[in-house]
Amino acid sequence: MKKYVIPIFLIQYLFSQTGYDVATAIDSKAEPKDMKSDLTMVLTNSKGKTRSSTIRSITKDGGEKQIIWFLSPADDKGVAFLKIERDGKDDEMRLWLPAFKKVRRIKSSNKGDAFMGSDMSYEDMTNRNLDEFTYELAGKETINGKECHILISKPKPELRSTYSQHRTWVTIGDNIVLKEESYDRSGKLLKKKEIKSQKIKEYNTPVEIYVENVQKHHSTKLTFDGLELDTGVEDDLFQEKNLKRLPRK
Amino acid sequence: MKHAVRQWFIRQATEYPKRTIIINILVTVLFAFGLPNLIIDDDFMKLLPPEMESRQTWDNIREEFGNTEIVYVALGKKGESIYNADLLRSSWDIAEALELDPNIDEVMSLSTMNRMDSDDGFMEVSDLQPARDLYPDELEEMKTYLDKNPDMKIRFISKNEDYINIIVRPVTDVPQDVVNKIIVKTVNENTNGFDVKFGGHAYITGTMPELIREDVMVLMRYGLVIMIIILLINLRSVPGVFMVLSVIFMSLVAMMGSLGWIYRFTGSDKFVFSVLNSSMPIILLTIANSDGVHFLTKFFKEMRKHKNAHDAVKKTMDSLFIPIFLTSITTVAAFMTLISAPIVQLTGYGISIGIGIAWAWFLSSSMLPAMVYLKKWNMESKAIAHMSIFEKFVDKFGFQVLRFPKRILALGLIIVAIGLYGMTLLKVDVNIASFFKPGTEIRDSFDFMDSEMAGTFDILARVEGDMKDPVLLNEMVNLQDYLEKVEYVTTSISIADVIKQMHRTVMDDDPLFETIPDSSGKVNNLFTLYSMSGDPDDFSSMVDYEYETGLITALMRNINASEIVVLVKDIGNYVEQNMRHADSITISGILVIFRDLIYAVIKSSAISIIVSIIIIALIVGSFFKSWKYGLLSVIPLTAAVILNFGFMGLFGVGLSHVTVLLSSIIIGVGVDFAVHYISQFRQIARNGTPSTELSHDVMEDVGYPIILDAASNMGFAALLFSLFLPIQYIGGLMVFAMVSTSVGTLTILAAALELAKNRILISNK
Repeated sequence: MKKYVIPIFLIQYLFSQTGYDVATAIDSKAEPKDMKSDLTMVLTNSKGKTRSSTIRSITKDGGEKQIIWFLSPADDKGVAFLKIERDGKDDEMRLWLPAFKKVRRIKSSNKGDAFMGSDMSYEDMTNRNLDEFTYELAGKETINGKECHILISKPKPELRSTYSQHRTWVTIGDNIVLKEESYDRSGKLLKKKEIKSQKIKEYNTPVEIYVENVQKHHSTKLTFDGLELDTGVEDDLFQEKNLKRLPRK
Repeated sequence: MKHAVRQWFIRQATEYPKRTIIINILVTVLFAFGLPNLIIDDDFMKLLPPEMESRQTWDNIREEFGNTEIVYVALGKKGESIYNADLLRSSWDIAEALELDPNIDEVMSLSTMNRMDSDDGFMEVSDLQPARDLYPDELEEMKTYLDKNPDMKIRFISKNEDYINIIVRPVTDVPQDVVNKIIVKTVNENTNGFDVKFGGHAYITGTMPELIREDVMVLMRYGLVIMIIILLINLRSVPGVFMVLSVIFMSLVAMMGSLGWIYRFTGSDKFVFSVLNSSMPIILLTIANSDGVHFLTKFFKEMRKHKNAHDAVKKTMDSLFIPIFLTSITTVAAFMTLISAPIVQLTGYGISIGIGIAWAWFLSSSMLPAMVYLKKWNMESKAIAHMSIFEKFVDKFGFQVLRFPKRILALGLIIVAIGLYGMTLLKVDVNIASFFKPGTEIRDSFDFMDSEMAGTFDILARVEGDMKDPVLLNEMVNLQDYLEKVEYVTTSISIADVIKQMHRTVMDDDPLFETIPDSSGKVNNLFTLYSMSGDPDDFSSMVDYEYETGLITALMRNINASEIVVLVKDIGNYVEQNMRHADSITISGILVIFRDLIYAVIKSSAISIIVSIIIIALIVGSFFKSWKYGLLSVIPLTAAVILNFGFMGLFGVGLSHVTVLLSSIIIGVGVDFAVHYISQFRQIARNGTPSTELSHDVMEDVGYPIILDAASNMGFAALLFSLFLPIQYIGGLMVFAMVSTSVGTLTILAAALELAKNRILISNK
């Protein structure tokens, strides 16, 4: 009996996934080259009061380039935002204020700042670089009938993240992120995220994201409508001059 | 019927004395089991009627903008600049430690505030204090920024730039005393040798009730010792004094226990023990003492005559059963009128003190006679064989009063007329700072916060309307300008200030643009720009989530109630004439609420006093089957009430919720003295005593217990040495109530009865 035990463990060890494997699998998943959508963003505060806005968004290169225009409420209509991520440099971010007829640059020095009053910070909206985290698996759990790995990602100190760790539930097999918990620097739970995805073309694309800041009792729900993928968005769309023009759908 | 009840009580005392004592003790123990249920609750807001407008506004503001009960902490060292890395490190640590506490909602200080800078056209929102440990250039940058923003500077830095203000906003619904302990502990652990001062109404209301209770407990002990000494000197019987004290103690247990039981069964805030209830033990003590003293002095007198305890107890009961019952029922009725008072906790006050009085009556009519009956009295003892000092004094005093009744009555009426004049000079005066004597720690902190910082009181204007409408925002700016011209107001803040600052920042820091933009679109763009790097929660204490309601907070120094009345009225007039674009504007703030509370207490006390006097007159009149007796019974206490308020007016003692409530002592004790006098008058008249000797006999019978009762309560003059002015008032009022009611009964009532005796006796026949 004893002579069979060691090979079984060896086989299990050789074929089992590590945290890094799961993170790599998520990172290497096929992504659309570009994406167009109309987003509805609903913010809800601790007293249950809500603010709602709709946004037209176009992204390219996995979100490294993004331009958004506010469609509603009426007060915000025309406000537009442009972001271009640059490796090793600060991201370039600009905001068009139609009432002032001015474009204003935005500093991204504080990654923990909330984006547009939502529960998502600039750090949440930036793609995670695989090598800037350490990974481990904390077991398995079934979510909505799907078996998931629980992936723990800890940012390396040089990243200067606003989080101490993320716990991500990733479906086994197709590596779809279903939910995530993010912990602040003192190790307390700060945010909970739930993501609903849908297969469009060959991509698993998020169609609804719910983020709750459990410390502030504030939540944000983003719903994606009219998703269009790989439509051939040109690079020159992501320019300051295009902020001032609301595109036709 | 009356006779049968009285006989039943006499039988219980003389035939089953031990059983009677045991049953009384057992019932008192039952009451005592209610004591653990007693809830001490010093939440100031629970005193206020929920329908009161300023309370409703206050509640709305708390709901929309968070807790408005703020604690202020000043940290620094006199004469040393606050731009000091050690001091800012301490304030950083304090803020950080407090923010981690779940009972604290928000900490506002230099280390938690944001700064807004224009950087290449971008409005950058960043931390005013960038780190715990600061370099000299960072300190200099902070100084430059604060000098450029005087509105922020005045809120967080003292006039001489030597103290930092840390503003702590607790979460709502946490008891203020709990919050205070957390804040004091956290701050003291992080001061690093710097001076600390605490302030703010929340801090005072959270600290004061406990300090007052401690102070009252110490001084009451002195009062009790003095009371025991006076009783001992006059009654000259240790067992006798013990018997009186046992009645007092057991009725106090019944009163407090009943409050606990009722709270347990109802769970209502009406039955918690608040700072208002602090006067209950003193009031009941005087009333219970009165019952015991009257019984015992009468008993000794009867013993002198009959030399037999059974007969003496019987005679005493025959004589005093009805008056003690009548004094109790009238006083209970008087306190029950508090049930309709707008201050909800006065309901519990009235009911529980009523139960205490009723139990004091029962004990005085059953247990006390039983104890007296069981005791083997020495007929040769001084208590029985000889008259006491007060007895001799009353004998001579009564003789003089009855010799010149017209003069005495005229003199009494003149004094009452002076009192009536004094009433016209009465002023409502509640200056919270003056609750504390100069030199006390709280008072010094209070004065420091007022003179060196921006003050710790506020006026709040809740503005409903479109908070992105430039016209309304400009009206808010004008209202703030108007408020800041008021002498007591140091600064004000609202969302309009933030919008002005954002406007300037987005326009390349040009001071010309520190204005409200000219369109709501621009205002909205500013909010959007802010949300790109600032936390939207930064505005939560100034504007609601939907931008439909805004809050203007004007910080101010302490002023008294009459000045706040004028100020609120002026603000109301300004708002009516100048703010046409708001859907509605309501003014609140702790001083406004305090003013309304005082008026509510004064109104309810005034109603209670008037209704009590009418009820007492009706009860006494119907019991003695003569409206004249009813009328006469309320003469001394009415005169005493007039004198009380009149002399307060003459001597400049302001009407406050404390002083006005304690006039209940006058009602409670005043009616006792009058009923005893009238009852004895009626009884002696019935016995066929000639009218020439009638008043003299009455004076001889009840004059001594009245004076002894009054004198023994004088011990509570010890309260005059309290650190707190309201407690001093209680002490002063106790002395005044005792003097005015006893002297009023033995002069005005005695003289009036002497003059009217023939008419009364004829009509009664």
